[in-house]
Amino acid sequence: MAMKTLTAEQKKALATLRERLGGISEEKRQAQRHLVAARKSIQKFLQAQQATVPQLAQALGMPADEALWHVTGMRKYGKVTEVGEEDDYPLYALVEIDDKPAAGH
Amino acid sequence: MNTQIDSSFTPDALVVGGGIAGLQSALDLADQGLKVLVVERQASIGGHMIALSKVFPTLDCASCITTPKMSAAAHHENITILTSTEVEAIESAGGVHHVKLLQKPTYVNFDKCIGCRLCEYACDTEYPDPFEEGLGAVKAIAVPFTNAIPQKAVLNAEHCSTCGTCARVCPTDAIEFDQQPRRLTIATDAVIVASGFKLNSITVKPQYNAQRSQDIISPLTLERLLAPHGPYGRVLRPSDGKIPGSIAFVQCAGSRDESIGVPYCSRVCCMYSIKQAMLLSGALPLADITIYYMDIRAFGKGYEQFFQNAKAMGINFVRGKVARIDPLDGGDLSLHVENTEEAENPIAERRHDLVVLAQGMIPGWNPAAATPVACAADGFVATTSLTAPTATVAPGIFVAGTAAGPKDIVDTIAEAGAAAMQASQYLFQKRAEALVG
Ligand SMILES: Cc1cc2nc3c(=O)[nH]c(=O)nc-3n(C[C@H](O)[C@H](O)[C@H](O)COP(=O)(O)OP(=O)(O)OC[C@H]3O[C@@H](n4cnc5c(N)ncnc54)[C@H](O)[C@@H]3O)c2cc1C
Repeated sequence: MAMKTLTAEQKKALATLRERLGGISEEKRQAQRHLVAARKSIQKFLQAQQATVPQLAQALGMPADEALWHVTGMRKYGKVTEVGEEDDYPLYALVEIDDKPAAGH
Repeated sequence: MNTQIDSSFTPDALVVGGGIAGLQSALDLADQGLKVLVVERQASIGGHMIALSKVFPTLDCASCITTPKMSAAAHHENITILTSTEVEAIESAGGVHHVKLLQKPTYVNFDKCIGCRLCEYACDTEYPDPFEEGLGAVKAIAVPFTNAIPQKAVLNAEHCSTCGTCARVCPTDAIEFDQQPRRLTIATDAVIVASGFKLNSITVKPQYNAQRSQDIISPLTLERLLAPHGPYGRVLRPSDGKIPGSIAFVQCAGSRDESIGVPYCSRVCCMYSIKQAMLLSGALPLADITIYYMDIRAFGKGYEQFFQNAKAMGINFVRGKVARIDPLDGGDLSLHVENTEEAENPIAERRHDLVVLAQGMIPGWNPAAATPVACAADGFVATTSLTAPTATVAPGIFVAGTAAGPKDIVDTIAEAGAAAMQASQYLFQKRAEALVG
């Protein structure tokens, strides 16, 4: 994805928004760090094996509802897919992303 | 569809709410050549109906019916739609209604946004998706849902980390971090209030312990679980992702109860629960599905047959009130039930792993607080007489759909057409009188 640099006006507008929001609270930063860490740990675990939500939760020491929420988000944005069922639970796997350019391009 | 208007814009009629009632009224007025402004507080039009899975009694796909109406309204030359905009008040004087609007910042310039979703894919902040009743995840900047109209990204400042990535990837420079809330007043001759309904709190009955279990869910949550593009892509228990094997519907869990201030019947719960039970039995053929009810109100055309079909499909109907629900260790839910058809042993304990509470329908907005419109004792918009079911106490202001009281889609659409007819008659008469002098 092509990333542009922000113009001076955009930077100023972003600062205005940040100010309007009363700055970025420690709680918000913490939540963001937690989100990134949880997604990374799920990704790493699923790289090694397929798993159900309770298996993920147990392995990563995470509440099952939270593990389900992360898997749901990862599924929505194409990072995880359902591959079967085990003991009344869907089994999830990481989506293989083919980085190789398509032939002829 | 035009989202850049100012106070010089004077539509013939203004519709409060872009649910199915508001859209139908707007289309019926616009087809008569009248200019209509639809004001919707959410980021997309469509109201509750766009989030439903299928609809009783036909089991048609809800979005297949709603999306064409949304699209017809958005593309109609006589209809202007403002989303993310709330009607705050109406002041009426000399036959003109001055409607006060609050336009919330979306931080995206809709004239520039092409709905490519590159900002959404690049954003690394997610929060519980309100469209999925909190079950799914959505990025801090996102097109609200797949078939949202407008197909424009909206930034949720509350969840934004202000990293600026969205602006870096936007191909059309549509992100505007400095947007501010904007107030404007629109003068119009007629208003249709189609502000719809909401459900009362899932915790309104403490004996059902909904705050103690994520598997005691709202019927709107179940609509999303049943929807083909729902959060999990199938029906799962929210607490741990289990495929539920035993599901209970508890009827009248927020209506027909003086003690919670909702003495009336919400009219659609019996039918949507039967619909949901039928859809569940298709999605989970091995599941055991029970509806606990006081009495089944299947009043509309084809509804009794629908109920009979559900019984024939093997859905269990237990006539009795659920007194209490206790979440148990291990995830099961214990229901204490009085089965009035069980002479020997009427009191029973039943276990299920997912419970749906039929919450009551209450008004989506209270116009009496800030407009000349009056509300009835139940909180819904009061109408003037049995022979004018869409007229409010304020001349030139009409009401349609669930803003006037709980009702199904068929009745909502019929009433929306009637309100449009009453409004156009009012407008044409006003014009005729002005011509005569
Ligand atoms: C779980 C469930 C399942 C159902 N299933 C069925 C079914 O299968 N078949 C059937 O016939 N019926 C069904 N219904 C009923 C159906 O949903 C309603 O009849 C219908 O959606 C009502 O439409 P409406 O336009 O009146 O209200 P809404 O859909 O609530 O629309 C009102 C709109 O007004 C907006 N609004 C409110 N106040 C303001 C304001 N001040 N300013 C700007 N905008 C405002 C709201 O954001 C909303 O978008 C179901 C209901 C529920 C709860």
